[in-house]
Amino acid sequence: MKLLLYVFMQLVLVLLLAPLVDGIIKKIKAFSQKRKGPPLTQMYFDLYKLMKKDTVVSETASWVFRTAPYITFISTLLAFMFFPATVILHSISFQGDIILAIYLLGIGRFFMVLAGLDTGSTFGGMGSSREVMIAALIEPALIVVLITLGLIAGSTSIYDIMLLNLQGNSFILNPYSILLFAAIFLILLAETARIPVDDPSTHLELTMIHEAMLLEYSGKHLALMELASVIKQLLFITILANFFLPTGWLGSQATPMLSFLLALITYFFKVVCIALLIAIAEISTVKLRFFSVPNLAAISFALAFLGFMQFIILGR
Amino acid sequence: MNDYFNLILVIYIVAAFFSLIFSKKHQLTNLIANILSATASLSLLILTALHLIVSTSSVELLRITTSVPNISLVLKIDNLSAFFLLCLAILSMSVSIFSIGYMKHYFYRINIGLFNCLYNIFILSMILVITSSNLISFLVCWEIMSLISYALVVYEHDQPENSKAGLIYIIMTHLGTAFLIIAFMLIYVNTGSMEIASAGQLLSPYLKNILFFLFLIGFGVKAGIIPLHVWLPYAHPAALSNISALMSGIMIKTAIYGLIRFILVVLGASTVWWGVVILVLGAISAVLGIAYALIENNYKRLLAYSSIENIGIILIGLGLSFIAFANQQMTIASISLLASLFHLFNHTLFKGALFLGAGAIHYATHTKNLEDLGGLMKRMPYTGLLLLFASLAISALPPFNGFLSEWLTFQSLFQILTASNQGLKILALLIVAALAMAGAMAAACFIKFIGIAFLGLPRSESAQNCREVPIPMLAGIGLLALPCLLFGLFPQIILRLIDRITQEYFAVSISSGLKGISLITNNPLIINESGISLLSATIIGIIFFIVFYTIIRFIGRNTKERIFETWDCGFGGLNSRMQYTATGFSKPLRIVFRFLYRPKRLLWYNKEGPSPYYHSDLNYVVTTEPVFEKYFYHPLAHSLKRWARKSRFYIQTGSVHIYLLYIFLALIALLIYNWVCLTIC
Repeated sequence: MKLLLYVFMQLVLVLLLAPLVDGIIKKIKAFSQKRKGPPLTQMYFDLYKLMKKDTVVSETASWVFRTAPYITFISTLLAFMFFPATVILHSISFQGDIILAIYLLGIGRFFMVLAGLDTGSTFGGMGSSREVMIAALIEPALIVVLITLGLIAGSTSIYDIMLLNLQGNSFILNPYSILLFAAIFLILLAETARIPVDDPSTHLELTMIHEAMLLEYSGKHLALMELASVIKQLLFITILANFFLPTGWLGSQATPMLSFLLALITYFFKVVCIALLIAIAEISTVKLRFFSVPNLAAISFALAFLGFMQFIILGR
Repeated sequence: MNDYFNLILVIYIVAAFFSLIFSKKHQLTNLIANILSATASLSLLILTALHLIVSTSSVELLRITTSVPNISLVLKIDNLSAFFLLCLAILSMSVSIFSIGYMKHYFYRINIGLFNCLYNIFILSMILVITSSNLISFLVCWEIMSLISYALVVYEHDQPENSKAGLIYIIMTHLGTAFLIIAFMLIYVNTGSMEIASAGQLLSPYLKNILFFLFLIGFGVKAGIIPLHVWLPYAHPAALSNISALMSGIMIKTAIYGLIRFILVVLGASTVWWGVVILVLGAISAVLGIAYALIENNYKRLLAYSSIENIGIILIGLGLSFIAFANQQMTIASISLLASLFHLFNHTLFKGALFLGAGAIHYATHTKNLEDLGGLMKRMPYTGLLLLFASLAISALPPFNGFLSEWLTFQSLFQILTASNQGLKILALLIVAALAMAGAMAAACFIKFIGIAFLGLPRSESAQNCREVPIPMLAGIGLLALPCLLFGLFPQIILRLIDRITQEYFAVSISSGLKGISLITNNPLIINESGISLLSATIIGIIFFIVFYTIIRFIGRNTKERIFETWDCGFGGLNSRMQYTATGFSKPLRIVFRFLYRPKRLLWYNKEGPSPYYHSDLNYVVTTEPVFEKYFYHPLAHSLKRWARKSRFYIQTGSVHIYLLYIFLALIALLIYNWVCLTIC
């Protein structure tokens, strides 16, 4: 029963917050360009509109193309279930392992890439081929950061890492954590198709990666794919917010309801901070040449490794 | 139990002789021999599972002794060999069922009777290797296994590349055997016994180090550890697919059996750096193996390279186990060995399925080149689905078994990270990165395999017109691919059996201690205070699917689905030549890792076009350099040949007087040796 409540709350939270965060990033970018930008709620309307539209499926496509949006969406959602927004929410949740969560995202990627190859279009193949390269380069840095965080907490359980961070002894105050934070921030930009790696707002065939794989999708399939990608973005933002930033509002003093609300507000505030950071990163950089992405991955890995070295030498 | 086991051996022999006698009637002999073989394997499966569940001690199965000392055939089954026999039985059962359909392709083209005879003896020889309790019988069976697998690799000997593959294979495998013979002789000289059980006693630490390297090279060749892997990518594509499945699924693992049996059990793995060597070799094999797999366009060679990667992952677990054992950290040692053996079991399942699936693709399309395939998912839907399952499992994605064993390997690395000295910690972290990279590249590699072969438009006539393969073949693949999901959801079924082995060697159960694993079925797998339950995750995923599918159907209840052609930028006439090719798909990674692949690109124009910028006909060839062959094996073979040629002139001059001098010198040398021995002792 408690589990159901947890799942329900987490679901409502992610479905409400994920498109909103994307809207916030867009809004900040628009401000910097002296534009008004779309309203914060634009993505909800878009998704609703897409779901009410007819779908077009390529005659070349097999069942993989039709099921991929569902598998990608469900596995991303499932991965997010392991990242409780607040500690209070966790008390009624299930065990979550950080490696499992990352590999669940891997399933989503596997099917998205396959779907890109399924229509026989050149663009799909192009996007798929680029996506697997980025994934192969980013994965070591990501796992190294997460294992190091696990090492600090003594377990690879997401809850343990989160709890240690939120219990006053916040990670971000430590030198090694700044390195790890920087590493995972670069990974976030690569994993969520943000500007130095991929540009989410263009459909230029020479540069697109994520959008190229989705080019043949329409209607409800496209809606699911878009939703999955913003959920993935929120997931990485949550990793940064809950694993590094302080103040979790553990909620021992106030009444459960009040502390829960306060915890949610702090979580939301932290998410907005990271969104601001992403927007700033996007505004202040240009898209890298595709074959410079390995350098980005190498920097991220180097930062992660230095963070780890600093941790084992200096201790917690 | 003894009689039962002997009966199984007899059935294999009967199947072998039956097919030899009735070799003229291809249909009959193929059907009966494979049914007999599958029955024997099924019985073996039951026997070994029972042994692992019920008995803990080693049981003597068969004893044939001769009057000559040490020449005897004594078969014993203990927990370790029972586990390897279990893997063998599952695989050979499925392969035999698959062969009922698959061999139709070869009726009246090759000698089916002899083939089935060799096939059964091959399985038999692997059983004997795993159960031998005597060094000599181990070596003899090992050699029979190697020779028969050679014969099976070159079975289609009319194709010249197969003979070359066979040649490389037989040279490499005998190189390995040579090291094993030296090791066994050293053991015999120092202990005076040929029993495996007592071989480890009375060995000095110095000798143990030498023996470790001899075993590592001797078994490493068979396992395909980089840089001893060169035979693997040649032998697997040359052999028929059912043989490749057996070779990759279990034959290369007899080498892992050898490593565990001789290094852990006999030599007692008491030195930390032994584990470190195995760990580093494992990580190198994992990363380089999958890196080479990624650029391969022959799908059987791709699978062969992927076997090297998986052997690497198995070795990582094994190395960690040896390190922890030498450091007296028994729980870590047992969990690492568990991860290693579980991955070995899983690899038997999914690589067996993938090789059989590769056989099915070849059966249907007659090509081994990915560039000629495409669109098979619509034409061979069941093969496609089963291979997708196996690919997900080998890419270590949940909820399949491959994920669990990789997760356990990560957790063993994590335990080494928490409980060891600084140097080992840094090494372990680098191994974590290597493992993560191998995982992501494996996913890329199998996306390429499925995406290029099964999705998109067919790239050739034969892929266009192919049909689904017969039911026995699908059953064979299914028997291996579906358990991948089963053991992903209920891993405890197998973990409990492996626990028998770890209990025997490390005297602790994996479920014991604070950092142990719960072995109760349906419970989450908890280790390092972090638990996963793929069963509940899958159930929640299915519930999510039902809920969201209903919601989306409700919102979009007035929508239709339209089938239309793929967007072709308005030019019209999208054809299969405009798709991404297998070469193109791996191009970005080929460019990023160009220091490793050393690609060479040749472009030439056959015909001048209307202008220098338009050519009507051009050739494009891209090759990668086989680094190990070019920079290690070729120079080695070359200098060896040159040295042999030179020395022949000095030694074999053709003069009888010189030869008489040699005999005289040899006599003197022996006399001096004898005198030295007598004075010292």
